Amino acid sequence: MKKSNTVAAENEKTVGNGMSKKEAMKIRKQYMNREELAYLRRKRAFECVWPFFRFFILLGLGFVILYPIIFMISHAFRDPGDMNDPTVMWIPRNYTLSVMKDTIGVMNYWETLKTTLFINIGCSLVTVLSCSITGYGFARFKFKGKGFLFAIVVLMILVPTQIVMMPQYEIFRYWFAPIVKAINGTERGLIDNPLVMYLPALTANGIRAGLFILIFRQFFKGLPKELEDAAYLDGCGPLRTFVQIMVPNAASSFLTVFLFAVVWYWNDYYVSSVFFNNNQTIALMLKNLSTQLSQKLFATSTTPDVRQIIVWLEAGCLLSITPILVMYVFLQKYFTEGIERSGLVG
Amino acid sequence: MADIDNMNLSEENEKEIAADAAESPEIAEDEALKAQGAELSKADKEDEIKTEKTEKPKKQKRSILSYERKKGLYGYGFIALWMIGTLIFFIIPLIKSIDFSFRNVLPADGGMEGPYVGFANYYEAFANDPQYWTLLVDVLKDTVIQTPLILIFSLFIAVILNQEFKGRVLSRAIFFLPVIIVTGPVYSIITGNISTSGADSASQFSTMFETDLVGELLNFIGIYNISTSLTEVIQTLTNEILNIVWSSGIQILVFLAALQNIPHSAKEAAQMEGATAWEYFWKITFPYVSPMILANFIYTVIDKFTDPTNPVMARILEKQQVEWEYGLAAAMAWSYFLIILAGVGLIVGLINKFVYYEVD
Repeated sequence: MKKSNTVAAENEKTVGNGMSKKEAMKIRKQYMNREELAYLRRKRAFECVWPFFRFFILLGLGFVILYPIIFMISHAFRDPGDMNDPTVMWIPRNYTLSVMKDTIGVMNYWETLKTTLFINIGCSLVTVLSCSITGYGFARFKFKGKGFLFAIVVLMILVPTQIVMMPQYEIFRYWFAPIVKAINGTERGLIDNPLVMYLPALTANGIRAGLFILIFRQFFKGLPKELEDAAYLDGCGPLRTFVQIMVPNAASSFLTVFLFAVVWYWNDYYVSSVFFNNNQTIALMLKNLSTQLSQKLFATSTTPDVRQIIVWLEAGCLLSITPILVMYVFLQKYFTEGIERSGLVG
Repeated sequence: MADIDNMNLSEENEKEIAADAAESPEIAEDEALKAQGAELSKADKEDEIKTEKTEKPKKQKRSILSYERKKGLYGYGFIALWMIGTLIFFIIPLIKSIDFSFRNVLPADGGMEGPYVGFANYYEAFANDPQYWTLLVDVLKDTVIQTPLILIFSLFIAVILNQEFKGRVLSRAIFFLPVIIVTGPVYSIITGNISTSGADSASQFSTMFETDLVGELLNFIGIYNISTSLTEVIQTLTNEILNIVWSSGIQILVFLAALQNIPHSAKEAAQMEGATAWEYFWKITFPYVSPMILANFIYTVIDKFTDPTNPVMARILEKQQVEWEYGLAAAMAWSYFLIILAGVGLIVGLINKFVYYEVD
């Protein structure tokens, strides 16, 4: 170790004819013209100043991003009385957990969390499976009408969900009604049934499924074709090739899509507000939290003023975002690096 | 543990192979039937001796012919699930919603029905609805101002986050944080609360960004009332900085990925030629990320337009769920969507001329 170090040092000396780097640079500079010197000077000045600029830009914008989060945490644990105290801005005077407890009660938090997780994790897994299969089909097989079918995938990304929502409601409510009635006797078709989320997810039509299909298609297109050819030569069928050869290679892509699916299913309140009448998911519950609060919590006591209600609302926000935030903290790497690796770009 | 898994896997695969083997002759037979036609098979049945003689070469020919077709069939197999789902959950609803927009829809027993009224719903939306038109113009104006700001901002941040410095991982994590929060109800609730509590973004955390101060600063520099549109842009920038920063998470991610795909050789060549950072950005970075500018543009516009909190969307929802006017709501949604599509198409066509594609 030591020997190699000394050798390297000797090399450095001998290369510059025994001169140090600074001296060598000085001599080199003598042969440069004015423009080149000016370029070097400018570059050095820029490299000195830029890190400070960068630091302040990132600090400022980072603060802008974290501002709502700080606001949320600061308000969730304070006593409602602090809201009308003009001296309290960020740091509460009276800490309390009672607001948190109230909100957990009103949201029926643990029960709702269970339902949400059941819908969320299940749908995300199913979405990943169905979208990957579809994406692979589009990436590697030639068949009639492929261009047209892929245009439909693009249309799925472009068309706002709001357009197809009402007819979808009709389908879930009436088309499936006879079957559902035969099974469990409800009159309302699939409305309020988790299948409302599961069926589209299972058939690669869930939330933002078009985007996921596109990601998988791009990714599978980027994998070398030789992989599959080798598998086919060895006698693998297309299905086995997909399961055994392509899926392990696409692991990072699967994880990224899964994480995004979890996030988007977690945050969705629009689709579920159409199909669920009771507030079954966390996002729906949060969306209607202020009405829930006035119905359940303030029904007997006097309603606090607009500023004080903020405390309960923020507690609700904190409760509903914590699971996903914890996931983000641990799996942050896969969010930020996944897209780069998924081959969506380039 | 891993060994057991492997064992299980291989067992499953054997089953799959068996399943494949069971499937493939069936497919081949089906193909053959189609190809031969009914008459030929009849003849085969009648003359058994003949078929025995000719069967072997025929089968070989079949398998050669059907390889490509078989693969094509597998392609259909892979997308079959999606095709069924899309038909039920996308195509039929899409057609139905076009149909709704020409009817006076009323919820009836067993579905939605109503007499056809032609373009009356569209006329109603644009001419008689007191809010739709103004809201539409507002949203369009907002999008026109915000989209370029978001694109410029996210490209700027992506360039910074692509550099090597201490704390890069942390700052990346912070800048992507909005991605996981912004689509949900949390963000709108918090921003609503921020404005009711008076801790408004513009007035609280940075007095510098207060609109009056920007005006004063401009006056100080010696610019008085340059033009209303520019002032408006500056005002949007300062007032909506929270909004812009919070809606550019995905865009930063995509730009960052594009930046990391810039070949090292381009960087080296630029350095050898003595390019300044400014020149490097315009001559190297910008052309390389230009396809992604287009992609991000489309994403941003679609994201802004389909956001359920956007006023036009809220109005459509209100018509649907509160006033039960499905026909009118469908007409509003469709005219809105067509306007977006036309706008996006126009701008994509324009930008596409300046986009640099490296390989094709």
